[in-house]
Amino acid sequence: VLTAPLPQERGGNNSFTHEALTLKYKLDNQFELVFVVGFQKILTLTYVDKLIDDVHKEFRDKYRNEFQQKGALGLLNGTFDFKDDFMRLLRDAEESSKVRAPTVMKTFEQSLKSQKTVKCMIETRGEKPKEKVKNKKNKGSKKEGAEAATAPSKAPAGDKQLSAAGDKEELTKDEILQKNREEFFRRHMKAGEKSRSPKPDAQKEKGKKPRVWDLGNSNAKVLDYSNSATNGSAEACPVEGFDPDMALGDKNREPGRLYDLEYESEEEAEEEKVVQNTSKPSAKKGGLGGMFGMLKGLVGSKSLTREDMDPVLEKMKDHLIAKNVAAEIAVQLCESVAKKLEGKVMGTFTTVTSTVKQALQEALVQILQPQRRVDVLRDVMDAQRHRRPYVVTFCGVNGVGKSTNLAKISFWLIENGFSVLIAACDTFRAGAVEQLRTHTRRLNALHPPESHGGRTMVQLYEKGYGKDAAGIAMEAISYARNQGFDVVLVDTAGRMQDNAPLMTALAKLIAVNAPDLVLFVGEALVGNEAVDQLVKFNKALADHSMAQTPRLIDGIVLTKFDTIDDKVGAAISMTYITSKPIVFVGTGQTYCDLRSLNAKAVVAALMKA
Amino acid sequence: MAGGLEPALAALRRELGGPALLSVLIALLAVALTFLVWRFVQGRRSSRKAVLLLGLCDAGKTLLFARLLSGRYRDTQTSITDSSATYRLSHDKSTNVTLIDLPGHESLRLQFLERFKAAARAIVFVVDSVAFQREVKDVAEFLYQVLVDGTVLRNAPALLIACNKQDVTMAKSAKLIQQQLEKELNTLRVTRSAAPTTLDSSGGPAQLGKKGKDFDFSQLPMKVEFVECSARGSKGEEGDADLEGLEKWLAKVA
Repeated sequence: VLTAPLPQERGGNNSFTHEALTLKYKLDNQFELVFVVGFQKILTLTYVDKLIDDVHKEFRDKYRNEFQQKGALGLLNGTFDFKDDFMRLLRDAEESSKVRAPTVMKTFEQSLKSQKTVKCMIETRGEKPKEKVKNKKNKGSKKEGAEAATAPSKAPAGDKQLSAAGDKEELTKDEILQKNREEFFRRHMKAGEKSRSPKPDAQKEKGKKPRVWDLGNSNAKVLDYSNSATNGSAEACPVEGFDPDMALGDKNREPGRLYDLEYESEEEAEEEKVVQNTSKPSAKKGGLGGMFGMLKGLVGSKSLTREDMDPVLEKMKDHLIAKNVAAEIAVQLCESVAKKLEGKVMGTFTTVTSTVKQALQEALVQILQPQRRVDVLRDVMDAQRHRRPYVVTFCGVNGVGKSTNLAKISFWLIENGFSVLIAACDTFRAGAVEQLRTHTRRLNALHPPESHGGRTMVQLYEKGYGKDAAGIAMEAISYARNQGFDVVLVDTAGRMQDNAPLMTALAKLIAVNAPDLVLFVGEALVGNEAVDQLVKFNKALADHSMAQTPRLIDGIVLTKFDTIDDKVGAAISMTYITSKPIVFVGTGQTYCDLRSLNAKAVVAALMKA
Repeated sequence: MAGGLEPALAALRRELGGPALLSVLIALLAVALTFLVWRFVQGRRSSRKAVLLLGLCDAGKTLLFARLLSGRYRDTQTSITDSSATYRLSHDKSTNVTLIDLPGHESLRLQFLERFKAAARAIVFVVDSVAFQREVKDVAEFLYQVLVDGTVLRNAPALLIACNKQDVTMAKSAKLIQQQLEKELNTLRVTRSAAPTTLDSSGGPAQLGKKGKDFDFSQLPMKVEFVECSARGSKGEEGDADLEGLEKWLAKVA
């Protein structure tokens, strides 16, 4: 868990499979704890979520003092004698899961038969929903029943069943009870914030019933997750006033240059807007509770809840999608950031927006940091020492710029004193071999043999059209080994990821020739397609390789970067899918237009409003 | 200048009236004074008092951290966030330094380095002596990234390369590690400066050491030392760790 999903920002859903085990984990952001439960993948244990929550609560309450006062030293020196508590909780969880199964069936029967009795019970015992609200966590409604059942521990078994039935009863009877609930919650403003969580969960349960529209008029602010779009026209104005300013700001700069951006000024403007935004919903909520909440949010320590973050995250997600990040990636990223920030205590004078933005920025930088080294020259030197050529294969869909970037990379290698053999394994496209021959001629003109001790720096190995690409590659590599070339660059034909026979052919080429570096060439203009391309390419390579550990894509070349101004989201999508680094960035059609990726500049361009 | 000021002052005086003008001036002076004092205090507070523990994953940083602070052995996991605590020297209880243990995971290490590099008075770079042969390129790359960083070059904090895990028999000695690192950094200098420039072309990476001569740790602007240590200790988990050299160096630096 610690090395894979969390640092790579895949912490959106909280389960993770590794070999034969499934690991479910939960983050406590206030005290920076991670709770992990591991169990056999084949078992389906229903009580695991509940167990993790219970363990989390107990552990936190028990050792709260140590965390708060002593910090790191407390963690080191304290003895956490939790084993007995843990065994007890485990036993409770197992028992409750056995008990619950028959209980569910019974409540269903009861709801059909005896409607009146339960209804009376709900109306008189007004504190029952209030208690439930106080012990609430933001999980499914089943959890509601379980929490309410465990918290008032004094309730006897019969009562427990009835109360569980009562919960279910409430949910099914919501149509009738909705008005009562509304009045009740309006009366208790303080509990109002927490009460919102049971209601949306209740709504989720009844996905099919048309009741949702009845509530829409009265509780729009509750059910509304997309605050920015529907929360009345008053809030739309600050948003619109903001955008034209930023658009004007951009015109003073050269298009296509990525500067080091300072975006602190925009953050301040954002903060003013946020203060306005938060004051408006609090006005709508009415009463003292709303004003108090806003003040508490600005000064002092308020812990972040899901509801606070949801509107901001929605906006961030739309912003990312507008910057050409693939939609599913944006959703997963926002989920992961939400999980990381939930329950965290904010410092003084920081708004929710700034905290979320900060976290998102860190997440993006983290994604763009390479997991392995990105030093091609170093590896070439190593291969040189072992007297074998360093083989690089370029693959990708049609028209992304494989041949052009191959020429640029060979230019760069020649500048650094390595001799290059270009293998023309694109035997399909008309003119592919001629294109490479022209490049070879130009490069040799730029670096004539005389200036490099009499040997030709660049040579083309081709066998015409229509032949088998894998065979040509193998011959090219042995030719390079005989002639003493340092690097072999293999150019393949472009192919769509859905084209099964062509993908098989590519996989065969890579499996047979075992190149040192497999580079996927993708253009920066691609949007959601990037996800599909990379997934299918990796899958094809994995499926058709005979070895235990198949050779997958080792790096990405991002081309046509000069055509996008700051919609650099494709970089994020590609690195997120493969977790492999972006090795080169192509920014034009001349030989000098080869760059390496600067993670901070890309993230700054992404986060710019 | 003075001529322009006079009529302005006169106009101001007329507007506000005598006592009000004086109070305004005094208020402005008070604000300026507090501003200066605040800046001064901040400058004092941000003095560098931290010792950073850097290194690759599984080098033993977190165990070293635990050993230095509490003397006991603890089972550790991969760190995903930093931990910091004050460390009192064993001989001289009055001085103390802040030890900061940073994660070594590739995605996280540069981020945390950014955050803490300005506050670093000294850097302990922990190297796994057993896996060194395999990992020499990664170790050298991380060390290179730390050394060419602008802030590090400017502040020149003292650098200690702690060759950890000496309790294992296959561990390499500090001398060998030093030689290998120098050779590797020498090569890295060349390849890194030849790499394609970054997108915003903020200038190439700084030059490490002297051009023309082979790279040597003595060419760096900061003091570099090599020390062998073992966080686990030769007697296993119960015994004490072998941290003599490390503690002596910390006493020197503090």
